[in-house]
Amino acid sequence: MDINYVGEHLLPGKIGQFFVILSFGAALLSFISYFFATKKPDEKSWKMMGRIGFILNAISVVTIGSLLFYMIYNHMFEYYYVWSHSDTSLPTHYIISSFWEGQEGSFWLWMFWQVIISTVLLFTAKTWESPVMTFVMLCQTFLASMLIGVEVFGSRIGSSPFILLRDAMDAPIFKDPNYLSMIDGKGLNALLQNYWMVIHPPTLFLGFASMIVPFAYAAAGLWTRRFKEWTVKGLPWALFAVMILGAGIIMGSFWAYEALNFGGFWAWDPVENVSIIPWFTLIAAVHVILAYKYSGHGYFTATLLSLVSFVLVIYASYLTRSGILGETSVHSFTSLGMSGQLIIFNLVFLGIMIGLMVWRRKELPTTQKEEEIYSREFWLFIGALVLTVACVQMIATTSIPVFNALFDTKVAPPIDPIAHYNKWQGAFAVVILLLTAIAQFLKYKRTDGKKFWASTIASLIVSLALAAGAIYLTKTYTNVMYILIMFTGIFCIVSNVRILGDAIKGKWKLTGSAVSHIGFGFLVIGALVAAATNEVISVNQSGYIGVKNFGKEGDKFTDPGENLFLTEGEPVQMGEYRITYTGDSISAPNVFYHIKYEKIDEESGKVKESFTLSPFAQNNPDMGGLIGTPDTRHYITHDIYTLITAAAADSQAPLTKIKEEDKTGFEEYDEPATYQVNIGDTLRYRNGVFVIEGVNKQAKLENIPLQPTDVIVGLKIKVIAADQKEYKTEPIFLLKDGNAYDFNKDVTEQGLKFRFTNIIPDKDKLEIMVYQKPLPEKKWIVFKAIKFPYINFFWAGTIIMTIGFIMAIVRRIKEGKSKVQIED
Amino acid sequence: MKKSSIILIVIIAIAIAMILVIYTDSSTYSTFSEAKEKKTELYVVGVLNKEKDLHYDPVKDANHFSFYMYDNDGTECKVVFNGSKPQDIERSEQIVLTGKMEGDTFHATKILMKCPSKYNKDEMEVKEATSASI
Repeated sequence: MDINYVGEHLLPGKIGQFFVILSFGAALLSFISYFFATKKPDEKSWKMMGRIGFILNAISVVTIGSLLFYMIYNHMFEYYYVWSHSDTSLPTHYIISSFWEGQEGSFWLWMFWQVIISTVLLFTAKTWESPVMTFVMLCQTFLASMLIGVEVFGSRIGSSPFILLRDAMDAPIFKDPNYLSMIDGKGLNALLQNYWMVIHPPTLFLGFASMIVPFAYAAAGLWTRRFKEWTVKGLPWALFAVMILGAGIIMGSFWAYEALNFGGFWAWDPVENVSIIPWFTLIAAVHVILAYKYSGHGYFTATLLSLVSFVLVIYASYLTRSGILGETSVHSFTSLGMSGQLIIFNLVFLGIMIGLMVWRRKELPTTQKEEEIYSREFWLFIGALVLTVACVQMIATTSIPVFNALFDTKVAPPIDPIAHYNKWQGAFAVVILLLTAIAQFLKYKRTDGKKFWASTIASLIVSLALAAGAIYLTKTYTNVMYILIMFTGIFCIVSNVRILGDAIKGKWKLTGSAVSHIGFGFLVIGALVAAATNEVISVNQSGYIGVKNFGKEGDKFTDPGENLFLTEGEPVQMGEYRITYTGDSISAPNVFYHIKYEKIDEESGKVKESFTLSPFAQNNPDMGGLIGTPDTRHYITHDIYTLITAAAADSQAPLTKIKEEDKTGFEEYDEPATYQVNIGDTLRYRNGVFVIEGVNKQAKLENIPLQPTDVIVGLKIKVIAADQKEYKTEPIFLLKDGNAYDFNKDVTEQGLKFRFTNIIPDKDKLEIMVYQKPLPEKKWIVFKAIKFPYINFFWAGTIIMTIGFIMAIVRRIKEGKSKVQIED
Repeated sequence: MKKSSIILIVIIAIAIAMILVIYTDSSTYSTFSEAKEKKTELYVVGVLNKEKDLHYDPVKDANHFSFYMYDNDGTECKVVFNGSKPQDIERSEQIVLTGKMEGDTFHATKILMKCPSKYNKDEMEVKEATSASI
């Protein structure tokens, strides 16, 4: 049954599929060639072939990406990937986001970064090229296999982005040769249509991808017995990976804060945890590498941590992509049936790690010297171990679903994951911050105890004073843990500022480390204060009936709610703000709800400060109803965050359908009221009053020629609305050829219609009829507002930390080049 | 013995102790009848009773949403959620509640829903709603 489909572009898919296979084959060739190039360094042709393989792989990867972009850009919905992740209404600048909404695209991104990194390695690795590229290309082979999408021995390997829609799905529509003209893509998830989503995934994946390099150097060092040298080459790369991954993680956090509706910047979601775990282990690795470099202690730990970090990156990939997290995570990808492949990928790298460590266990450089307590390396080592234990905690809790699958148990994760993680990680943060502070005053190998205590105690006293002030100012004195974190955070900053002071005086080498540690201190303090003292300011006090369960355990169920109900145009006092829902505006597909905040001076009653926040929501039934996107007012010391949680589903009731010719112009009005009035009378209507001002005997009507016998009178009416706005109108009464006519007039702004229906001379009265529109049902919204104090420290800390990393990288690259190891 | 070895052993001991503590912190998936007995906060897995009304009237109280749910044993129970109505709950195929029993009603602090994906029969979407209480 062959159908000749209309309008399909099959060529790009075929070319794409060819390059998918080529990228896999080329990576495999390159891996094997580099492997033998390492084994037999004399046979130069192996290395040549390795390079050719890599170049072919690089060309394939770039081509796959270009084709995918071309297909999405031209809306070729005959391809499943394009159909799943984009639609015709998608703005061009978000095409790039739909690239990595799917798993195939994100694997491609990973491969692409590995190509870039490999290119840099080709030029810088020199004698390390063959062994290092062996591991990088092995990883590239695995990644390429994820895109193959070909069935081998009954099971499909990978998932290709070039699969046709009609092959991926079985639907009656494909019986129609012209199906393409009838479909549009599913579109990009509304939450991903955010500019942070354009930049966050590439950064994060660059971080993940660059972690292969420390792994490769460490593994190559073990393999080729160049135990010591690898640390010199690997250190700048490790710092680079830590910097990029850190920046990527925080960008994700910023995206969550700006665009997601969970009301915070960190939720300890499994997806977040698995990206922070390798970050922690690699930071630990960086510190132990330094300790080893200056003291000779800790080679085993340094190597192990560098290796395990990348294994954990693959594990993270497995957790988020295999669907195993299921009901514990809201963000993870759904399964593409590749979990087997991901498990093999994971086990191979785990095997390499264990295998190399066991194989070379007797040759690892060790030192018989006893560590000094008064030495920096000792405390760097302790710090790295504490970081590792922190990771063990996160892995243990995050992996509960994995253990369930492995041992067929049914353990549920902690009821309140945020409290659970905060409890543990808060304690670890205190220890880490403390170590970051004191280790900076120690020297490698041997420190003069007196000097150490002198500078430590001086910083300690300054920090105590500063911390007391900061704790008072930020109101974090409610919890011992908060006080401890605040104090150690400030201690960390103060100590490192001191080091920075020395650095400026000439000991420039420590600048990078001091700056990044200062950044880290700020980051933790910012996170602490924003997370611990953020308060929901949209507390619904009016709807609070606190009788039920009063004073009993479980009282939190009767707490006043956090969602506030607002009717359009009716101001509500919320804390120090008077807020008004002023209306909405539509910019398809989003509806923006405008909420005006005013701060009122109590004495004078004047508005001190006023701003409007416009959180928006997409009422998108396809995506699951109302998707709110918050709007945030940023101040230096705090943020006001507002999110719509519900809104009047249909703010305008549909008009009853009346045929055009049957329309009288009065359908929209309530039953009229008839009044007999005199000049000067004032009457009420729903939204104010109107005054009969006088009679106009010179009234004119267009189009109607008047005879002298005709009587035409206009009635001047002034409408004064409740808001003191005035409107004038003049309905007209006409006696023509003995017949009475009247010409009504509207005051549309007030929903009024006046008719001047009669003149009653014997009573000396004028008769009018007043029509009023029924009051429209007021628009309403339900919203939530949260105040995040000092969150800017969190973002600023990240930036400072990144700058510190850059300084450290520059220093270590220079050192690596000159190969001069200067003692500190 | 070197100092680092001693410290390593101590750290490993701490790590093991920590994992044990984590598992006491963990919970189980249970049913309404168990929730009635235990009176602690736990997870209940079940399906929405689509026959009965879902009650949410934001004009009266924007933080009160109630519905009926069957747990895995088929027991029906009224559920009260202190927050706004999660979008799409009508379409959900499975619900995971976090909360505790209070008399005959279950007070949920978190609702996790699995909804069928509109486009793909094999795909499920997971959604989450968290209540007001901190």
